Amino acid sequence: MNLLKKLVAIVLMLLALPHNSYAYLDPGTGSYIIQLIMAVFLGGIFALKIFWKQIKIFFVKIFSKNQFNEKNKN
Amino acid sequence: MKKTKINNTLSSSFRDPSGFLFYRNGFLYRQINIGYKDNYDLLMESGLYGALVKDGLLIPHKETSDQKIENKNVYKIIKPEVINFVSYPYEWCFSQLKNAALVTLAIQKKSLEFGMSLKDANAYNIQFKDGRPLLIDTLSFEKYQEGKPWIAYKQFCQHFLAPLALMSYKDIRFNKLLQIYLDGIPLDLASSLLPRKAYYKISLLSHIKFHAKSQQHFSDRKINMNKHRMSRLSLQGLIDNLENSIKGLKWQPVGTEWADYYEETNYSGASMQHKKQIVDKFLEKIKPKNLWDLGANTGAFSQIAADKGISTISFDIDPAVVEKNYLRCVKQGEKNILPLIIDLTNPSPSIGWENKERLSLPERGPADAVLALALIHHLSISNNLPFNKIAHFFNKICNYLIIEFIPKNDSQIQKLLLNREDIFTDYTQQDFEREFNKYFIIQKSIEINDSKRSLYLMQKKDANS
Repeated sequence: MNLLKKLVAIVLMLLALPHNSYAYLDPGTGSYIIQLIMAVFLGGIFALKIFWKQIKIFFVKIFSKNQFNEKNKN
Repeated sequence: MKKTKINNTLSSSFRDPSGFLFYRNGFLYRQINIGYKDNYDLLMESGLYGALVKDGLLIPHKETSDQKIENKNVYKIIKPEVINFVSYPYEWCFSQLKNAALVTLAIQKKSLEFGMSLKDANAYNIQFKDGRPLLIDTLSFEKYQEGKPWIAYKQFCQHFLAPLALMSYKDIRFNKLLQIYLDGIPLDLASSLLPRKAYYKISLLSHIKFHAKSQQHFSDRKINMNKHRMSRLSLQGLIDNLENSIKGLKWQPVGTEWADYYEETNYSGASMQHKKQIVDKFLEKIKPKNLWDLGANTGAFSQIAADKGISTISFDIDPAVVEKNYLRCVKQGEKNILPLIIDLTNPSPSIGWENKERLSLPERGPADAVLALALIHHLSISNNLPFNKIAHFFNKICNYLIIEFIPKNDSQIQKLLLNREDIFTDYTQQDFEREFNKYFIIQKSIEINDSKRSLYLMQKKDANS
C-alpha cells in the first residue's frame, strides 16, 4: 500500500489545476488518475508486444520463404 | 409528411443528452439531437459504422424521413433493427457477460482505428441478437481526442471486470449484485469482497484494488486533467490489458444443483423420446411466434422450438446449466435460443428510476407460448405454491401453455418429500386441471409413454370470457 501512496503523491504533485469535462458520464477523477499512472507501464508493454509480433512475423516470413525455396529446389 | 409530437419515450433512455429512443406506431426509433451531429456524422462517414456492422458488433439502422418530428433538438431520426427480447446483465451467465465485455473492448479498439472512442461502457447497451452480443446504442461514440484517457474506463470496470472477477474468484451468484447496483458494482465493494488470490493477478490488483483506492483518495479533490496526457499507445495498452484480464477470467459450470440433471433423471429413453414428440406436435399445432422455456435446463426442449425457427428464451435458475446451454448454442451457432438466469419464484423486478428503467419479466412479455416441463412440482412442492397462483402467473405471461403434470407417486416427487411432511393434499391431477381450467382452456392432454406423467396443451382464456 505504501507503493500506491507514493505513486498517488507523485501524481498529485504533477497535477494542480481544476478539472473540466463536458461529457455526460462522470469519468471519476480517481479513475482518470489510475489510468495515467498505469499508462506508462501499459504503453511500454503494448509497444513491446507489437515489436515482438513484428519480429515473429519477420522470422515466420523468412522461415516460410526458405521452406518455399527448398521445396522448389526439390 | 405528418408532424408528430414524441410522447412515447422509452423509460430507460434519458441519461445521454445525445438523443433518445421512442416508440411510434409500434416501431422503435432513435432521435439524434443536434448536439450530437458532429459525432454521428463522423461515425457514419469515417467508415466506423460500416466496419462495426460488418463485424456484427453494432446494431444496424436506417435513417428515416417518413415523418417529421416537432422537436427543435432533432438532427436525425434513425430506425434501428429490432431486438427480440431485451435481457439484463443480472440475467446473464458468466460467459454471456464475458463475451459482452469482449465485444465492448473490440468496439473500443475498432473505434480508435477510425479516430473515435466509446464514451460509455454500459453493459445494458449490449444485447443478444441472433445469439451474439452487440452494441445497441448508436450514440455511444465520440471523436477521439489525442491525449485523453478513456472516459468509460470506470464504467467498464464496474459493469464488467468487477462482476466477472467476483463470479470467477468468489461465487458465481455475485452476478445478482448487478441487480442492486445499476451502474455496476462499486469498486470499493468488489475490492473488499475479492479473495487475496485474485490480487496475485497484477491486472486485477491495478484495475480493481488500486483503482478503488485511487477513487477514494481523489473523491473530493479537484484535479486538472488537461495538463497531463495519455498517449494513444498507452490507451491501446490499457484496452489490450483489460482484454487480457477479461480473457483470463474463467469459471467451470460444475457441481450445482441441476448441472447433471439429464444424466440423473429417471426418464427412460423411450419416454424422453415420446415427450419430445409430443412437444414437437404441440408446437406444430400452435406455431408460436416466440417461446419462453421455463426451467429449460441445458435447452434440450428449447432446441425443438429453435429448430422450427421459433425465437426461444431458455430460462433456468441455475447459472451452471444456463452457462452450459449458452456455450452449446455458441458452439452450434444457434441463433434462435437465448439462455437466461431467472428464479421464477422471484423473477426480475422493474428497477431503476421510478422503477421503470429496467423492466420486470412479465413486462417484457407476454410470450406467445410457454413451455413448463418438469417444473410444476418444484413450484408446488419445493416452494409451497398453490396451483391457483401458478396458473394465475402463467396466465399473465403467455397465450399458449405447454405444461407437464407430474403425479405425487413419481420418484422425483418422492425425493422432494423424503425429509418433510406431505402437507400437499391438493396436489392431484384433478386439482391441477380444475385450477388451470379457471385461466386456460385445456385443448389436449397426453400421457407420456412408460411414465405416469402427462403433457397438456392449454390456451389462455379471453380476459372477458
